[in-house]
Amino acid sequence: MTEITRRTALGAAIAIPAAAAMARTALAADPVEIDLFFPVPVQGKLADKMKELIDRFNAQQSAVKATAVYTGSYDDTSLKTRAAIKAGKPPGAVIMSANFVREYVINGDVDPFDPIIEKDGKTASDFFDQFWPALKPNAMIDGKVYGIPYQNSTPLMYYSIDAFKDAGLDPDKPPTTWAEWIDAAKKLTKPNGDRWGINFPCTYDYCGWLTSAFVMQNGGQYYNHDYGGEVYYNAPSTQGALAMLDTLVNKAKVMPPGVSDANACTGAFFAGRLGMMLLSTGSLSFVRDNMKSPYKVAFLPKSVRNAAPIGGASLLLPKGNTPERQTAAWTLISWLTSPEIAGEWSRFTGYFSPRKAAYDLPEMKQFMIDHPDAKIAIDQLKYAVPWFDTFNTVAVRKAMEDQVQAILSAKVTPADAVAAAQKAADDLLRPYVEQTALKAIG
Amino acid sequence: MRASGRHLALIAASTAALIWAVPFAWMAVASLRPGVPPDIASLTPSGPFNLGNFKEAWTSGSFPLWYLNTLLMCGGILAVQLVTVSMAGYAFARLNFPGRDWVFSAFLLQLLLIPPLLIVPNLATLVTLHLYDKLLGIMAPYFASAFGVFLMRQTFRSIPRDFEEAAMLDGAGVAVLIRHVLLPLARPGLVAFAIVSVTAHWNEFLWPLMAVSSPRNQVLTVGLASFASGAEAGSAWGIIAAGTFLVAAPLLVLFLVFQRRFVSSFVFSGIK
Repeated sequence: MTEITRRTALGAAIAIPAAAAMARTALAADPVEIDLFFPVPVQGKLADKMKELIDRFNAQQSAVKATAVYTGSYDDTSLKTRAAIKAGKPPGAVIMSANFVREYVINGDVDPFDPIIEKDGKTASDFFDQFWPALKPNAMIDGKVYGIPYQNSTPLMYYSIDAFKDAGLDPDKPPTTWAEWIDAAKKLTKPNGDRWGINFPCTYDYCGWLTSAFVMQNGGQYYNHDYGGEVYYNAPSTQGALAMLDTLVNKAKVMPPGVSDANACTGAFFAGRLGMMLLSTGSLSFVRDNMKSPYKVAFLPKSVRNAAPIGGASLLLPKGNTPERQTAAWTLISWLTSPEIAGEWSRFTGYFSPRKAAYDLPEMKQFMIDHPDAKIAIDQLKYAVPWFDTFNTVAVRKAMEDQVQAILSAKVTPADAVAAAQKAADDLLRPYVEQTALKAIG
Repeated sequence: MRASGRHLALIAASTAALIWAVPFAWMAVASLRPGVPPDIASLTPSGPFNLGNFKEAWTSGSFPLWYLNTLLMCGGILAVQLVTVSMAGYAFARLNFPGRDWVFSAFLLQLLLIPPLLIVPNLATLVTLHLYDKLLGIMAPYFASAFGVFLMRQTFRSIPRDFEEAAMLDGAGVAVLIRHVLLPLARPGLVAFAIVSVTAHWNEFLWPLMAVSSPRNQVLTVGLASFASGAEAGSAWGIIAAGTFLVAAPLLVLFLVFQRRFVSSFVFSGIK
C-alpha cells in the first residue's frame, strides 16, 4: 500500500508540472476551447459546484478553456452525447454513467485513453493502479482504458438507532448476514405499516443495481464481467437471491409490498417509519442533512460472501475530436481526477473518490474522522464488485428488473421469474452474440 | 332533461378541474415548506411556511437569463410561424395549383413523426448552417408548423369569399387582401395557434437540451432540471416545487389575464 501511495503521489507531482509545461508551449496560441458534458445525478448544488471547479481550472492554466455544460440525467447526457457525436460536434469530454462505457465501446463512439497515457510515459495498467481495483471492469474494456472514474458509489445499509433500541436490537451490532438481517427486520416491523423492517428503492436502475448486489452476495457473477453478451439470470445464485426478496416481502412481510422509490424510502426513514434501508453512498450527504434522529451505516449483509456493486460515473473521450482537443480534454481530466480535486468533489457530494491517493491527504483524513459513515463506505470497497454492463445494457437490465418488481408485488415465483428474465435477456443479446461469440469462423 | 344534462356536465367538468388542480395546489403548498418534511405529500400541512425555497431556487440558477432566453425563443418561433403558417394556410385554402392536395397531405403527414426521431438529422443541419449551440438553432426547426398550416387553412376556409371578392373589386392585391381582410378575420385562429405554440415551446426540454450547450443560451426547462433532478439521492421537493412554480408562473399569469380571449379562441377554432 505504502509503495503504491508513494508512486501515485510521485505521479501526481510529475503530472502537474507536465500539464503546466503543456500549458506553456501552447501559450502563444489561443486556448483550446472544449465542452465538458456533465449530468447531475444527485440533487443539490452540484451544478454550481461543477461550474466553480471549471472556473478554477480555467484560471489556473491558459492552454485550455473549458465550459461545463449541464446535460440532464444520465440518460439525457448519453442521448445528447450520441446526438452531438453523430452531428459532428462531440464535446471534449463527458461524465457518463460508468455502466454505459461498454456500449460506447461496442458502438465505436469513444476513443481509448491509451495513446495519451503512454505519451505521459505510463502503461495503461500502471495508470489504472491509481484507482480502486473494483472500478476497472467498467472502465478498462478489452485491455484498453475507455473511462476514467470520476465519482463513484456503492449501496450501503442505513439504519435508525432509535428503531434498533426500540426493537431490542444492539445498534452497535448491525446484522451482517441475510439470516440476521431478516431476523432484525422481523423485530423492527410493527403492524399496520407503522414501521417496516427493511426497504430499498426498486425503481428502474436502482432495482437492477441492488439485485446484482444480492446475486453476487449469494456467490454468483450475475453477468459476464468481461464480455457484453452473457447474463446469468437463471443461475442458482440468482434464483436464491430472488427467493430471499420473495421472503422479505411475501413470507416474512418485513418489507412494504410493491415498488418503492428512493423518496419513499428516505421519507419513511426520516419519519421513523423504517428501520433499515439500502441506499447509495451518494445519498450520504442528503441523509446526513435531513435525518433528525441518530442513524448509522453498515456494510450490506452477506450470504455466501460480501458484495457491493459500483455505481457512479466516469470521464469519456467521445469519438471525433482532433488530437489537439483530446490533449486539452486530457489536461482537464487529469486535473479533475487529481487527488486534491477528486477529494474535494467527494467531500462535497458524498460520492467516494475513485482516486486512492485522495484518502492520503490531510483534509480527507480529517473528513473521515468527522464522518464515520463515509469511512464505512470506503471500508466496504474491499468487497466492491463491478457494475452491470452488457450490450444494450438498459434493456437487458430491465429484463430482470421487471421480474424482480413482479416478485415484490407477489405476481410471480422466483423460479418462473429467473426463467422469464433469462429468456428475455437472451433475445435482446442475440444480435451481439451472433456477431461476436457465435460468429462462424472460416 | 336538458337541465339535468347540464348539471351532469357541470359535475363532470368540476371533477376534471379538481383533479387537474390538485398537482398545482400541492406544488404551491410544497414550495412554501422549508426543509424535507416527512409529510411532504400532504395538501394541508400545519406549517411552518416561508419563502426560503423560492430564495434557494432563485439563487441556484440564472433565472433572469433563462427567462430572457425562453422569451426570445418562444417569441422568435411565434413571430416567424405566424408569417409562414398564414401564408401557407392561405395557399392551401385559396390558391389553385397542381398537386395542391397531395402537398397538403404530405404536410399533414409530418404531424405523425415524433420529434425525437429528427434530433440527429436536425442537429446535423444546424451544424451545416452554423446554428449549433445558438438560440436561433433551437428555433429553426419550428419555423414551419404543420399543425399551424392546417389550422390556418381551416380558418381561412371558414371565412366567406364575399369579403375577398368585395376587396378585389376595390382593387386589392393578394398581399393587401391577406393583410387587411383575411388576417383580421382569422385572428381567433391565430390566437389559438399562438397559445399552443408558446406553451409547447415554453415547456419543451429535450430539443433545447440537445441543440444548445453554452450556459448563456440555456432556457428555463433545462435550467430547472440542473438543480431539480436527482437520481441517487432523495429529492428536496420544496425546492423543486418552488423552481417549477417559477418556470410555470409566467404562463399561469398570462392565462389568467387573457383567460376570456383564450377560451373564445379555442371555442371558435374547435380545439379542445
